[in-house]
Amino acid sequence: MIDLVVQQFAWVQSPVVVARQLLAGVSNGMLLFLISAGLSLIFGVLRIINFAHGALFMFGAFIAVSMMTEGTGAFAAALIGAAAGLAVLGALLEAGLLRRIYHAQHEYQLLLTFALVFILGDVAKLIWGREDHSVSVPSLLTGSARALGLTFPTYRLFLIGVGIVVAIALWWVLHRTRWGVFVRAATMDRGMLSALGVNTRWLFTAVFALGAALAGLGGALAAPIVAVGPGLHVQVIIDAFVVVVIGGMGSVLGALVASLLVGIVNAFGILAIPGAAVVLTFALMAVVLIVRPHGLFGTPE
Amino acid sequence: MTRLVPAAVLLLGLPFALSDFWLFIAIEVLAFALYAVSFNVLLGYGGMLSFGHAAFFGVGGYAAAILLKRAGLPPMLAFALVPVVALVVSALVALLIGFFSVQRSGIYFAMLTFAFQMLLYTIALKATGITGGDDGMTGLKPPGVLGRPFYYYYYALAIVVPALYVLYRLVSSPFGFTLRALRANPRRVQYIGVNVRAHQLAAFVVSGAFAGLAGGLFALSTGNVFPGWLNWTASATPIVMAVLGGVHTFLGPAVGAAVYVVLEVLISGKTEYWPLAMGVIIVVLVLLMPEGLSGFRRKPA
Repeated sequence: MIDLVVQQFAWVQSPVVVARQLLAGVSNGMLLFLISAGLSLIFGVLRIINFAHGALFMFGAFIAVSMMTEGTGAFAAALIGAAAGLAVLGALLEAGLLRRIYHAQHEYQLLLTFALVFILGDVAKLIWGREDHSVSVPSLLTGSARALGLTFPTYRLFLIGVGIVVAIALWWVLHRTRWGVFVRAATMDRGMLSALGVNTRWLFTAVFALGAALAGLGGALAAPIVAVGPGLHVQVIIDAFVVVVIGGMGSVLGALVASLLVGIVNAFGILAIPGAAVVLTFALMAVVLIVRPHGLFGTPE
Repeated sequence: MTRLVPAAVLLLGLPFALSDFWLFIAIEVLAFALYAVSFNVLLGYGGMLSFGHAAFFGVGGYAAAILLKRAGLPPMLAFALVPVVALVVSALVALLIGFFSVQRSGIYFAMLTFAFQMLLYTIALKATGITGGDDGMTGLKPPGVLGRPFYYYYYALAIVVPALYVLYRLVSSPFGFTLRALRANPRRVQYIGVNVRAHQLAAFVVSGAFAGLAGGLFALSTGNVFPGWLNWTASATPIVMAVLGGVHTFLGPAVGAAVYVVLEVLISGKTEYWPLAMGVIIVVLVLLMPEGLSGFRRKPA
């Protein structure tokens, strides 16, 4: 029995394996961050759990696939196109549907974003079909980099770089711009913000559009390393949900820390208990909810 | 009484009027009616939104399947034990999940139930030796003539009607009125000296147990269980049924279940895009009919 356990953890002694898993974990975590930052921001301001956020991510991936296979093929254009397309879709969804249920009870809000999951999932099937699509990693980012005697896939390093840039940009927007002050104020007291003369209606639309754009960007970035098919969103939203709960709903910093945590736990969990690593993240989420229900960086109700 | 007689005649006479296919659907309606009503004991009476109720329906289904396939009992005995085992096992699981979940309220309660459900889903998916993993468990069949829909329908009726009666007595009892008071004002109820958490936990266990009974009943009708029964997308079903029928009446969710199941049969027979249709139905329901089919608006939103 002990032998078996020791065997399971033999990889601990191999720095190559540890470094490789760490990189995989951190880069997956950065993708998770792009989705969960938007999810968290939307909850913080709009007080809605957007179950359709995974579907928005999937739309980003599909748009990137279309632009790379049928359009110019430029990866940078696909990233921008996915983010912009999803910002528009997000704004339309917020202004057309979500806006109507901010004062409804939880079950109605939950059901509405749930309905969007089903609708967007089927619309994706109507547009892009039922089969999996794949695009290759852009030529500039193929290959691998060598450091400390180890090789790292360039695309993984690129993902980490993008994650860091987005994190800094979000921090700057939220903490150094007037609009960011409004957003942070809205997470604390929407009614007061509105009473002070801020147009919260447009603020909400903009926050939802920003969250959707981040999800779209994440989907486009994930397109070269996942199978882009109609079932993509079902798992993605679960991971993002776990991240947001652990990090604290409404906290972007929490989303960053928890994304990296979940990414790394998953990467090493696969080695420790193959096939059941997911159990670890749900257990982690349950423990956080019991011990610290508002999450690591969230504020209590 | 005047309304009970026609209802009884209708329910008892259905097998003589319906084809085997529609009788099979009628059995599904019975199982889901019990599922939706038991779910609504929490939502409509206790004001607790469980977002992981598919866990209990699924646990009941798996309990029935494992009892029939793996317990090594004579088929007749195993079959006779199914309702008891499904009830008891889901009650125990509900006790465990509920113990942690009722510590929190509102959206955090919903998320806790959600997290535990995903834990169970992962177990159903990964514990291949017991649950059959991704393939689920198939070929479950009630012994003898009960394998035919005509007889199984009466069997299901003989379980669902008494179960509904028990739930009805429960919500009409002082316990039920305490639950309603909890929905309206938990703090005030606490000040009167009522143990809030104990009442919520009791309601959770009863609700989970009867959802499990419904799951066991349904598993033997379709002859199989799959991990998807416990996935998060399945937890929307009882919410939709309850909201569709109206959460403020006892039998509203049962009506919702009937409408939902029949709609699913009719629409998915015509198109593979049933989720899209359901999504649109939910959007219409949430935006236009917040009190459901059997209710009317009592207070402005």
